[in-house]
Formats: sequence, C-alpha cells, structure tokens
Amino acid sequence: MVNKVTVKDLVCYYGNKCVLNLLNIQIMKNEILNIIGPANSGKTTFLRTLNRMNEYNLLYSYDGKIYLDGKNIFTMKVEQLRRRISMLFAMPTPFPMSIYDNIVYAPKHLKLIKSKAEQNIIVERVLKDVSLWDEVKDRLNWPAMKISGGQQQRLCIARVLAINPEVILFDEPCSGLDPISTAKVEQTMLRLKQKYTIVFVTNNVKQAFRIGDRTAFFFMGELIEINNTKQLFHSPNNKKTADYITGRFG
Amino acid sequence: MKINPKLSQQLSYCILFLVTICAITPVVFIFFLIIKNGVPNLTIKFLTSMTKDGGIFPAIIGTFTIVVCSIIIVFPVGVFAAIYLNEYAKRNLLTRLIKLAIVNLAGIPSVVYGLFGLSIFVMFCKLGVSIISGALTLSIMELPVIITTARNALNNVPYSFREASLALGMSRWQTVKYIVLPNAMPGILTGTILSIARISGETAPILFTAAAFYVPHLPHSIFDQVMTLPYHLYITSTQVPCVSKTILFGTALTLLIIVLTISLFAIIARLYFRRHRKW
Amino acid sequence: MRKIIDSLTEKIIFICGMLSIVFVILIFSFLFKEGFSFFKHFGCIKFVFGTLWYPTSEPAQFGILPLIIGSFLVTLGACIVAIPIGIMTALYISEIAPKYLRDILKFLVELIATIPSVVIGFVGMIFFVPVVKLVFKVPTGLTAFSGAIMLAFMAIPTIVTISEDAIHSVPCHYREGALALGATKWQTIRRVVLKAAMPGIIAAVMLAIGRVVGETMAVMMITGNAASIPHSVFSPVRTMTATIAAEMGETVRGSMHYQALFAIGLVLFVITFIINFIADLLLETKRK
Repeated sequence: MVNKVTVKDLVCYYGNKCVLNLLNIQIMKNEILNIIGPANSGKTTFLRTLNRMNEYNLLYSYDGKIYLDGKNIFTMKVEQLRRRISMLFAMPTPFPMSIYDNIVYAPKHLKLIKSKAEQNIIVERVLKDVSLWDEVKDRLNWPAMKISGGQQQRLCIARVLAINPEVILFDEPCSGLDPISTAKVEQTMLRLKQKYTIVFVTNNVKQAFRIGDRTAFFFMGELIEINNTKQLFHSPNNKKTADYITGRFG
Repeated sequence: MKINPKLSQQLSYCILFLVTICAITPVVFIFFLIIKNGVPNLTIKFLTSMTKDGGIFPAIIGTFTIVVCSIIIVFPVGVFAAIYLNEYAKRNLLTRLIKLAIVNLAGIPSVVYGLFGLSIFVMFCKLGVSIISGALTLSIMELPVIITTARNALNNVPYSFREASLALGMSRWQTVKYIVLPNAMPGILTGTILSIARISGETAPILFTAAAFYVPHLPHSIFDQVMTLPYHLYITSTQVPCVSKTILFGTALTLLIIVLTISLFAIIARLYFRRHRKW
Repeated sequence: MRKIIDSLTEKIIFICGMLSIVFVILIFSFLFKEGFSFFKHFGCIKFVFGTLWYPTSEPAQFGILPLIIGSFLVTLGACIVAIPIGIMTALYISEIAPKYLRDILKFLVELIATIPSVVIGFVGMIFFVPVVKLVFKVPTGLTAFSGAIMLAFMAIPTIVTISEDAIHSVPCHYREGALALGATKWQTIRRVVLKAAMPGIIAAVMLAIGRVVGETMAVMMITGNAASIPHSVFSPVRTMTATIAAEMGETVRGSMHYQALFAIGLVLFVITFIINFIADLLLETKRK
C-alpha cells in the first residue's frame, strides 16, 4: 500500500473553539477510508480542511501539516489542490444547466479538453463510471435539475470524475437519498476505488461497515481509533468506539 | 363601554381598506387626467417633428441618448461593485464603510447631484454642459441603486453552487463568471431596466449639466447640449407663458408612457423569472 | 495571458467596489470647496439664521432661514399625511388583503414610485393648485399645503414598500403565539406584529423623510417659490432644493451667489446624510 495523504498534528479552530485536536492520519492509495462519529465530532471540518474549502470562513484557523504525495497542501495553489482532491456534498448540487453541460463545465473552463469529440468521450466515460449512462443517454440535454435526487447525486460524482482527481472526498453523500439510490451510490463508490482514493464521511454505521476498507472513529474533535473496518467493528479497542457502533449513543 | 373585539376588528379592517384606497386613487387620477388630455395630441407628427414645428422629437432623442450613455457607464461599474461586495469582501471595517457610502449615495438629493456634476464634470473636467456631463452625473446617482439590486440578485444564487464549483478546482473569479453571474443575470437586468425608467424621468441632476431650453438641431456628439423630455415639460409649463395645453399634455403623456412601459416591462419580467426560477 | 486578464478583472472589481466611497468623498469635497469660501466671507451663523434671502440685491443677503423653514414646513406637512396612510396601507397589504388584491396593490404602489416627479408637479400645478385656491379661499393655490400633499403622495410608496418588508419579516410564531392565547387577528396585528416591525417602520419613515427633503421638481412647481418666512401653511414657500434648482441657471459661475447655492447643497448633504445614517442603523439592528 502506498501512502497518498499524510496528516500531521492537525489542529483546527472555529474562533476560540477547538474542533479538531492533534490529528494524525495516513490515507492509503486506492482505499476507502470511512470517517464515523457523532455530530460535532469534527468529521466534516476534517474533510473540508483536506481540500481547503474552509478558508472562506473567517472564524476558521488551523495549524499542522497535510501532505499529498509528500507535498504540503497548504503551500500549493488552491485551485491545483482542489483539482487533485475534489469533493462531493451532502445534498446533490447540480448546476442549473443541462446534464451534458454539468459534466463538461469544469474540464471546459479549466482547458483540460479541447475538441467537441473529446468532450463527448469524457461525458460517456464518466457517466458509465457512475452507471448513469443507460438512464440518461437519450436526454443529455435535459436540465439536470429535472432528474431524480439519486441520479443528481451520481451526476455530481460524474462531474467530479470529469476533472480526473486523485482523491475524492464524500461528505455524507447519501443523507438525502432513498435506500435504492443509496445502494447505487455505494456500488459506484466501490467501483471507483480501483482508480481513486476515497475519504467517506458518514453518520450511518452500517453503511460504513459495508463500504470502507479502513474506518476512523472521531469523537469530540479527536481521533479515538483507526483500524481495518472489520477489526474495528468486531473488536474495538476503545470503549467509546464500541458504544458508538453498537448504537448506545450518537 | 367595552367594544366587542370582533366588531372592532371589522371596523379597523374597513378603515385600513379605505385608507389604502385613498393612497392608490391619486395615481388613477393622474393617469386619467394625463391620458384624457394628452391622447388627442399624441400624433405621429407631434412625436417626430422638430420643436419649431410644435413637435418634441429632439427632446425624445435627447432623453434617449442621455439614458443610454449613463446606463452604459453605470451598469458594468455597478455590477462589478456588487460582485466585490457579495463575493470578495470580508466582513471588516472597509466593507462597512462601503455599505455606509452606498446608503449615503442613495440618499443624496438629486439636485445636489446636479451641483456636483456642475462643479466636477462641467467646470473641473471642462466637459461643458453636455450629454456626457449629464450622463456621468446620472450614472453616479444611479450607482447605489444598481449595486443594491445586483447584490440582491447575486445573493439569491444558492451558496452550494459556489462550493460545488470551487470543489472542482475553479478559481473564485471563474466561479463568479460561469456560475454565479449567469444565474443572477435575470435579477440584475430587471433591476437595471427599472433604473432606466427612473433616470428617464429625472430632471434635477441634468438641469445644469446637460439640458438646454432650446436646441434647433439634433445633438451631433456627446459634447452637445440637448433637450430632454422632463426638462422640456418643466420649462414649457412654468417658464413659457401661453404654450398651448395640448403640447404640455402631449409631452407629459409621452414621458409617462416611456417611463411606465419600461417599468412595466421590468416588473413583468421579474414575475416571469420568479415563476421560472431554475433552482 | 488568460491568467493575466483574470487577475486584472479581479483588480477592476476591487476598484469598482471602492468607487462608492470615492464618490461620497468627491461629492463632499466639491461641495465643500465651493461652499467653504462662502462661509469664510459671509459667516456661518449669518447664513443659517439670517432671515433675508436677497441674493441679487446690493448688498446681497444670504440668510437661508426662510428656506430651511420652507423645507421643514413642506416636509412636516407631507409626513403628517404620508406616515399614517403609508403604514396603514402597508398593514393592509401585508396582513389583511387577500392574495390577488395584495399583488395588484403592490404593483400599483410600485407604479406610483416610478412616476417622474416633474409629471406629478405638472399635474399638481394644473389641477390641484386651482382646487386649493378655490376651497381654502387663498389668493394663490401655490402654497406649502399643496406642496406637502403632492410630496406625501410621492413619499407613500417608499413608506409602504419598506414597512411592508418589515411587517412581512416578523416571524410567524409571534403571530401564532398571540392567536393561540385567544387574541383576535386584529389585536395580534396591533399589539404584536406592529411592535415587532417597529424598527423597520421607523427606518421606512426616515428614508421617506430623506426623499421628501431632497425632492426638487414637484416642489419647485407647486409651492410658489417665495423666499420669505411663511406665516401659515397656506402661504407660498421656497425650499432649499427649489432654490438651488431655480437660481443656479442665473448665477455667474464663481460669484458669491453661486457659492451660496453650493453652501445650501452642503447643508442638504449633511441633513440627508444624518437621516440616512440613522435609518441604516435601524435596519441593521433589525437584521441582527
């Protein structure tokens, strides 16, 4: 296993409140790392720190280092970083344009592709990757707002794939979806593991068990335990972890 | 004696309704009077002939030129300022000052803008009493209105669009250019059209910066003085004795029709866009 | 190349953002530049409290007290008429009117706001002024009273739209709480809604006052333009704005009279600045 992202002594604040305390995590290449924990445990803050989405929040401040392939992400150009570590949000956020335009939006404006033919190839490839191609191939010029919520979320995944990132951050991507759509998104994630590194924040313990290779348990801004998913669920080392996964709190 | 609450409610509703009617009736009156007296005079000849033949063609052209010039100046500046305030500005003293300045600009009396335009554009910049001086004065006066409406329109675009775009590696400016601005455009445009209606009827700011009592020819360049409709109406109705009432009402009706059509168009467009909002 | 254009655009955006501040400073300094030498020559106190405005006689008198009183009288009159009507209309539109009527009324109010002031002045001059002359049996209908009524009509849309906003943004649970306690709808509106919306309504009134003080064309056409201290509301008055608009065309650029008009402009600037500043503070506290 190759080390993809290394987090060293990360501390995050909102105002004076410490939301993440001395975090050390290594994320391997081509793995799905689950991050579970009760509300306010700093999961989302951690995720948004990984691609520096928190920087527009004036209360937010951080200390520590994060390396992507050995390079410090805080000294990179932020647009470059986000092209390599992209992110998916809890609610589907398609832009108010057609399905096709949603996908080519970023590659076109970032000048990653030149010809129309290249665009068509990319659209087909990423839609197949999220197994949405068969559902929408006849109506690519439909407004993206008109397809169902689950389809929208997969479209958003496709949109992220179109810029070919290395790491994809999922911030509770199924929280607004019905069980069938959730299953489809989960399948998609498992398939994406071949090519991408995935960090997956979820509130749903069962879902984490189904998907992740490794699981990290956050509690009150601290990393309590990180282990192979099976091991963490079958024989947690910490009592808090055990309480959480058996549903005693959170 | 204690009044029955149900009865007092009925009574108050009635009073409020009557007061509302009171507030609205004058507008009906004004329309009625101007239309009744103006329509017989609203002929093609009146609208298209020069002043010496009893027409108002130069005034229509003058109003049109000044309004177009000032909108061309104020629109980009106002929209950019709104983008700065809504997308870039941090919450600090500078931003607070800018907001205060906008509020203050919006409240300055129009005649004071006229004074300012006179001293800075006409005298200091030596542009003379001309279309360009008037247009610049009007555009500064309209700046706060454009900024405020554009800012509201930008603010109505969901924040999640911005985050989604940023997460794809787009820069802040690219996000504004490709996602935020296109989605805010309907709102910005309807606001701008309403401002066009407003400046078409403004008189005080151009009194000393652009308007002329009588110009025998149409303007040749933006450095010419012009006649404008509102100024023409003012000057003929107060300063010139024995102008026939029909000309006055014709001018008033023309001005009213121009202003109302533009604003009606904007109001209806706004309703349309609200109904058909894409998100 | 593209990067350069983008970063240039961001610089332009910043500059445009700063422009409002620049303009306020420019306006103040240009008014001050012309006004200041006047204050130095004529004296502040004589200017503000002088009761004679004879700018063209020899020696010229530049006392703006009659003009201030004129502006004040017209504004006060307009407020007395417009504030109750405006607030009541706002209440009716946002709380009582059925949906379809509400849309029509809002639309009409917006239409009133777009009528150019010179048109209102014109209609007032032709139709309203003779009525005033006839009904109140005064020598001329061009009086402070006529001006105040016309201005009230122009101020109503400002009051209605902003107070309607304030009333509309009173949270629903305020109303539901009062209704649940057994109050009638009207009691709820009067005791709860109106109270909660008060800062916004006061701000609306302030903004309307600012508009009325600065109104020029209609006032100039209707109030009769006599620069003397009025003894009743039915005598002709002249406001500060009308003085500037009427006399600027006839002055010699750079003369004492010219500078005096700029000094009046400066006074207007300061007055409206204070009014709008207070209104903004009120709206800001409402937002928090």
